[in-house]
Amino acid sequence: MSNRKKVLLKVIVLGDSGVGKTCLMNQFVSKKFTNQYKATIGADFQTKEVMVDNKLITLQIWDTAGQERFQSLGVGFYRGADCCVLVYDVTSPTTFKSLESWRDEFLIQSSPKDPENFPFVVIGNKIDLENRSITTKRAQSWCQSKNNIPYFEVSAKEALHVDEAFATVARNAQAQENEVELYNEFPDQIKLSPLPTSSSRQDNCGC
Amino acid sequence: MDTDDNEVQDLELEPGGALESMIIPISEEGLLEHEGVESPRLAFKEGFDERLPSTVRENTRFCNGDSSKESSCEVHEEESREPIDLTAYRKHIFVFSEAGKPIYSRHGDEDLLASTMGIMQALSSCIQNRNQDQIRFMKAGKHRFVYLLRLPLVLVGVSSDPFLSFQQLQNHLLYMYNEIVCVLTHTVLTNVFEKRSNFDLRRILGGSEKQFDALADRMDVDPSFLLGAVRCLPLAASVRDQITQAIVQSCNKVKDLVFAILVADNHLVTMGRMKRYQLHPVDLHLIFNLVQSSQNLKDAETWFPICLPKFNAAAFLHAHVSYLDEECVSCLLLISAQRDQFFELQECRAKIVERMTKNKLFPVIAQSVKMAGYSARETGIFDLRHFIYKAKSSAQLSSPRYETVYLQEDSQRRLIGLYHLLHARMFNSGRPLKILYCAGERETQLGWHMVGFELYATFEPLISKEGAVKAMNKLLYWIKKEEDRLFIMNSATF
Ligand SMILES: Nc1nc2c(ncn2[C@@H]2O[C@H](COP(=O)(O)OP(=O)(O)O)[C@@H](O)[C@H]2O)c(=O)[nH]1
Ligand SMILES: [Mg+2]
Repeated sequence: MSNRKKVLLKVIVLGDSGVGKTCLMNQFVSKKFTNQYKATIGADFQTKEVMVDNKLITLQIWDTAGQERFQSLGVGFYRGADCCVLVYDVTSPTTFKSLESWRDEFLIQSSPKDPENFPFVVIGNKIDLENRSITTKRAQSWCQSKNNIPYFEVSAKEALHVDEAFATVARNAQAQENEVELYNEFPDQIKLSPLPTSSSRQDNCGC
Repeated sequence: MDTDDNEVQDLELEPGGALESMIIPISEEGLLEHEGVESPRLAFKEGFDERLPSTVRENTRFCNGDSSKESSCEVHEEESREPIDLTAYRKHIFVFSEAGKPIYSRHGDEDLLASTMGIMQALSSCIQNRNQDQIRFMKAGKHRFVYLLRLPLVLVGVSSDPFLSFQQLQNHLLYMYNEIVCVLTHTVLTNVFEKRSNFDLRRILGGSEKQFDALADRMDVDPSFLLGAVRCLPLAASVRDQITQAIVQSCNKVKDLVFAILVADNHLVTMGRMKRYQLHPVDLHLIFNLVQSSQNLKDAETWFPICLPKFNAAAFLHAHVSYLDEECVSCLLLISAQRDQFFELQECRAKIVERMTKNKLFPVIAQSVKMAGYSARETGIFDLRHFIYKAKSSAQLSSPRYETVYLQEDSQRRLIGLYHLLHARMFNSGRPLKILYCAGERETQLGWHMVGFELYATFEPLISKEGAVKAMNKLLYWIKKEEDRLFIMNSATF
């Protein structure tokens, strides 16, 4: 833990059920795709190490279950995320419309310090399918309206652009994680009273 | 210098006891009670008997055929770091942030365990969210999971050790939490996460991992953590008094010096303190662990900030730490509230070394360390193999060295395990037991809790109940007779 400079980033993947979140994650992490649809229960986790700008970064990816939308996973789930990936299915307009509320839900639950600049990435999945209903232009203009969220069109099935999308996730998340000032502030010096209270205990804090 | 309880001839007092102790006595409920915030308590009782193995496994590792899928980690191609087999260890301690970001793991690379810790946090988060409650304990097969929420940190202990109860494991987590506070202070810990909930705490904990590992392992083999008491180095009372005098006289006029502590081989040799201030056993254990796990303290006098969480978790004290003798046996810690006192304390140290050298005290300390305490045979009780005695009012502990059948490390561990079990059985039952007699195949144990003390003794297997009780009385008498040597009876203040 000490010497190696490690970076670990928490990435949350949100989007309606069936848009391909789990498949995307599996494609990215294990280079695998299955056509079987198995609903994610609650949440699932994967870790993946990537090299970004010559830096080894561990992505801790929190996959969520879309059907749980109205039963929140709790702030503990969203808290401390470094990046949020919003996924929709390019063949399904409703999943695209949901992006707005997924973004809102995330911002409310995680309450990041600077919501305007919090790194999101939007992914339009299933571009291998013929019947696409959301044009690239339409998706792009929505992303632009949200403070220029990076937008990718991918196919988890054909492994198209998946790695590029996650490289951007890693890069943007790391950029904002990096901004941290170093916290080497010292707490105040202890004031010793010559005769502390009778119990002779000095519990100044509530831990 | 004045001694607080110089000539106490109070017969009410247990052997080794003190009227005004330099160490804060803590109750039999253990350490949890002393937590400022509400402590999670067990809602149920535990029975051990069903799963107590009659003999300890030769091998501390165990295999669990189908559990390899526990680590769903992916390794970067050209990295040599291997995801570990989690089931290969008897005890795990995980620490992560409320965001589920790994901070520490006793075994394995915590980055590669990010998924595991994520799941642990998600479990905790869901339960908190849905039931407005906290997850505390889980059991899966022979594995016990214990959660300790000390937000912004979450600590999880996992153990397959049948001797370690839920509470004892939870106690380990509390120590771990306090160790982190010891490095950072509670103030810094909460501030960084208030500023950024995604903060990676490893950035500012850097370098402390060894200390954490040492503590995690030490708690398995040192019963003083279990009993919340401090082990003293056996020394003739006159010798100890000389050492105490040398220290206290040299430090007399130093402003804001709170504690002067002399440690040798994980034992307290003596301690001087500012009037009215006491040290909590937890703080002393953390100090011992720091000394024990930092080899570089042997190289030079060192000055660093240290937070003693039970003394004051909000801020740092400052410690001047140095070994006093060439052989690096006696380690002195001068702990002050001031942050720029190095040179003043350096002078104190020099005076202490001078006085102690003049009185030839270092070889005496070294000799006692070399002897590793005393033999159970000195008690003159034939059937007695080993014991642990805790004087409650002074929070001090004494036990003979491991001998004969407990010479080997694995048999020692087994014995320590048995003490844990005895301890848990006496405290964990709905009504605490005052006395417990356990006749086993390989030894017989007796636990005895009285107003002033706890005594756990190990006898030859064939001793009768009456014989054991008689022996206990005899042992108490012996401890009383030897108390000047086994315990620090005079509490010295500056
Ligand atoms: N054609 C096609 N199907 C996909 C793609 N990604 C996922 N699917 C299918 O979409 C369904 C839902 O995927 P899943 O990852 O479970 O969605 P989730 O609910 O968002 O996790 C599955 O039947 C997948 O096989 C893709 O890129 N192309
Ligand atoms: Mg899914």
